[in-house]
Amino acid sequence: MTYAYLFKYIIIGDTGVGKSCLLLQFTDKRFQPVHDLTIGVEFGARMVNIDGKQIKLQIWDTAGQESFRSITRSYYRGAAGALLVYDITRRETFNHLTSWLEDARQHSSSNMVIMLIGNKSDLESRRDVRREEGEAFAREHGLIFMETSAKTACNVEEAFINTAKEIYRKIQQGLFDVHNEANGIKIGPQQSISTPVGPSACPRSPRDTGSDSGCC
Amino acid sequence: MVPALFFPWCSSLRAHQRAGRCGDGRHGPKSALRAVREMGSSGLAACALEGPGWLQRHLLSGEFDQLRNFTVFESNFVQVTRFGEVANKVTMGVAASSPALELPDLLLLAGPTKENGCLQLLGLFPLQFVQLYIHDESRQQLKVKFCTGRAFYLQLQGPAETRDLEFGKWVRLLYHLHFQAGQGAVPFTQEWGDEDEETGGDQEDREWDWRDQLQDREARLDPQTSELWGL
Repeated sequence: MTYAYLFKYIIIGDTGVGKSCLLLQFTDKRFQPVHDLTIGVEFGARMVNIDGKQIKLQIWDTAGQESFRSITRSYYRGAAGALLVYDITRRETFNHLTSWLEDARQHSSSNMVIMLIGNKSDLESRRDVRREEGEAFAREHGLIFMETSAKTACNVEEAFINTAKEIYRKIQQGLFDVHNEANGIKIGPQQSISTPVGPSACPRSPRDTGSDSGCC
Repeated sequence: MVPALFFPWCSSLRAHQRAGRCGDGRHGPKSALRAVREMGSSGLAACALEGPGWLQRHLLSGEFDQLRNFTVFESNFVQVTRFGEVANKVTMGVAASSPALELPDLLLLAGPTKENGCLQLLGLFPLQFVQLYIHDESRQQLKVKFCTGRAFYLQLQGPAETRDLEFGKWVRLLYHLHFQAGQGAVPFTQEWGDEDEETGGDQEDREWDWRDQLQDREARLDPQTSELWGL
C-alpha cells in the first residue's frame, strides 16, 4: 500500500509499563494480559490518515529492562516520534522518566516529538501518580501528554495519532527536513518531493497537543 | 528460500573444525559435525554466489535505514510444535550489526502480514539473549530459545534438492555461535531435560502435565491469541 510518509516511532519506558500492550492494542486492537518480556526490539506497523494523507507508522517497541537498555538505545536513532510510557500505578516508573528522556534526546533528533503516556488508567483504584503530575512533567519538558489504557483501548489510538499529527504539523511548518533520514521520516513511494508545505495545511485541534480529556 | 550470504563466518569455522572441538551429546552433535565436515569448502563457495533473500530485500527496500546495510543469512521456516503441528510461516535470519564483527550478533524474525501476506519484520534480538539449537536434524528443525524462557521450533522450508545444503549451513552457524559463546564442549542440539525422558510409570499423565507446562513456554499457534508477532 502506498503512503505519503513513513514515520518511525520508538516506544520507551520502564519494563512492565505496558509498551508492548499499547503496540498490540494499536496494531491488532486486542489486549494480552500476560506478555513476555521484550528482548531487543519488536516491530509493528499501521497506516493512519492525517489531514487526508496516508501515513505509515513504523513502530519500534524496545525492551525496557535495564539489562537490554544499552543495546536498544542504539535503535533510538532516526525516530520521528517517541512514546515515553510510565505506569500510573507504579511511582518508580514515573521517577525514571528523566533518565529515559535524557536517553531519548541524546540518541535521537532534537526535533523528535515525544508523547508522555501514563498507562493503565483503568486501574484508578491503584493509582500512584496523579494525572496533574504527568501533565506538569510534560509541560516542563515540552512533551505531549495523555493517559491511556492498553486494556480498554482508552486513548490508545489518540496517543499514536496525535503524535503523528504533531510530526506532520512540524513537516508542514518546515521544522522537519523530510530528506534527512536522521529525522525518522521517509517520503512514501511514488510521492512527489514537492509536497505542499505551509502552516495552514494541517489545522490543529485542541486535542492535538496538551492533556487529553477523552475516555480516561 | 536459499540463504543469502554466509561466507563471512565460514572461514573461522574451518579453523574450529581443524581444532577438533565439538560437543558429543546424545542427540546429534556427532552427526552435526559430520554435516559440517561434509559441507566442505564447496558449500562455502556456493553460498557466496547466492542473491539476497526476502528478508534482506525487505531491509533494502528503504523503510529500515538503520538495518539497510546488514548482510543477512536467512531461510524460510514454518513454526511447528514439538509434536510436529505446523503453524506460522517465519523467515529467520542472522546479521552482524557491524562489518567488523566476525560473527553475527543479531537474530531477525519476519513473517507475512495478515492483510496481504507481504513480509514484515517482527523482531530484532541480540543473539546474546537467544540460544539456537538443532531440535530434530532429520526433520531439519531448529529450536529458538530466548533468555526469558520463551521457545519455539522452526522447520526449514524450501526445495528438497537444496534443503540439506541449507540446513547444513544453519548447523555450521549454530556450531560456530556455540563455539564462540564458550560452549564448544557442550551439545548444541536440543537441550534434553529430565522431562523429555519417560521411563515408565504413569507416562501418559506425566506427558500431559509436561504438555501443559510446555504451553506456558511455547508460543501459541493461533495468530489471534499469540504474541505480537504470532510466535
